[in-house]
Amino acid sequence: MKKLLVAATALSLLGMMPMVANASPESDLKAFRGFFFKRFPGVKLQDFADGIYGIDAKRKEEWTAMEEFPPYEPGIDIGKKLFAKYKVGSCFKNGGIAIKQNYPYFNSKDGTVHSLEGDVLTCLEKNGVDLKAEKITTQKGKLAAITAYMAFTSRGKKINVVVPKDKRALAAYNLGKQHFYAKRGQLNFSCADCHAYNSGRMARANLLSPALGHVSHFPVYRKQWEAGGTDALAGFGTIERRYGGCNKSIRAKPLNEGDEWKFKQHPEYVALEYFESYMSNGIAINGPGIRE
Amino acid sequence: MKKLLILAAASIILTACGSSEPAMMHSKNDAASAIMAAEHEAGRAASENYEWRDTGKLIKSAKAALKEDKYDDAVKLATKAKKQSSLALMQHDANQHAKPAF
Repeated sequence: MKKLLVAATALSLLGMMPMVANASPESDLKAFRGFFFKRFPGVKLQDFADGIYGIDAKRKEEWTAMEEFPPYEPGIDIGKKLFAKYKVGSCFKNGGIAIKQNYPYFNSKDGTVHSLEGDVLTCLEKNGVDLKAEKITTQKGKLAAITAYMAFTSRGKKINVVVPKDKRALAAYNLGKQHFYAKRGQLNFSCADCHAYNSGRMARANLLSPALGHVSHFPVYRKQWEAGGTDALAGFGTIERRYGGCNKSIRAKPLNEGDEWKFKQHPEYVALEYFESYMSNGIAINGPGIRE
Repeated sequence: MKKLLILAAASIILTACGSSEPAMMHSKNDAASAIMAAEHEAGRAASENYEWRDTGKLIKSAKAALKEDKYDDAVKLATKAKKQSSLALMQHDANQHAKPAF
């Protein structure tokens, strides 16, 4: 009888395996949310938009105080001016205002996922802007300021990322999902190791943020980046900059390292943003956010 | 007293063992080959988007050592770099079907 039970359990587990591997975005979202709600009881969906400040009351007090005189405001003003100077609004629906919540999106015409930063870069090139001469690169500075302004106009709008029933869209989603759960680097960590299974715990002096809601406050204004520069845009960085930094921390070579990636985005990071954004659907945009 | 003497002798032997480096007498060709092998393996890891952060630096240091005719150092660094890339490739293969643990 015992043997029969073991065999039945093993068979049922085996039967479940393909179901997990081929899980749909909808079922992924359900499991992902369920995990975080269980891990942080009482924390509401929108609270996750605040990252570690949504799960730690003491730190939230400090953060709320910082938000009273946000250090990113001068940068947003610069972003707004650049947005107008380069006629960025001409390339987007609604003149580029309040659209960030729909990014990244799958474009069925070219079969790829588009990020906001990617579309702004395409727009700048279309408008004849010389990226090199204007010193516009993908991860920080002027581009991050422009998209920070665009995120600012989307504040309060709920993330609404769609994974259509298209093989190419699903492939991009699965690439991002695979990146999230795959261990990499000399430390053999996955995104999930820090930002799911150990979220809310300390890694040296840092409280690890939950992945749910990660994308809501990007481009981000980090105090650490601010300290490394002198101008008003020094603190800004796109989510791709952050992904690269995270990979570096676990001693993996960032995918977007090197001159090759100065003026274009790495598709795997765009896919990761696509996956993370889908997981965060329904959370209102609050970017740009201040972080440590 | 006897025990003390044995202990002292053992500690002297252990210290001597710890400080003696195995003699390595690598040639310029050995160093160049090791670097080439490390670069090849790094290329394989890069093609899978799975390079480790410091592998490139190790290869760079190995090249610098070769330039300074420090062949043993060059071989040691290049071997370490190659090992990193081999491990990265194993890691890549092991994580092809990574999925949530919840």
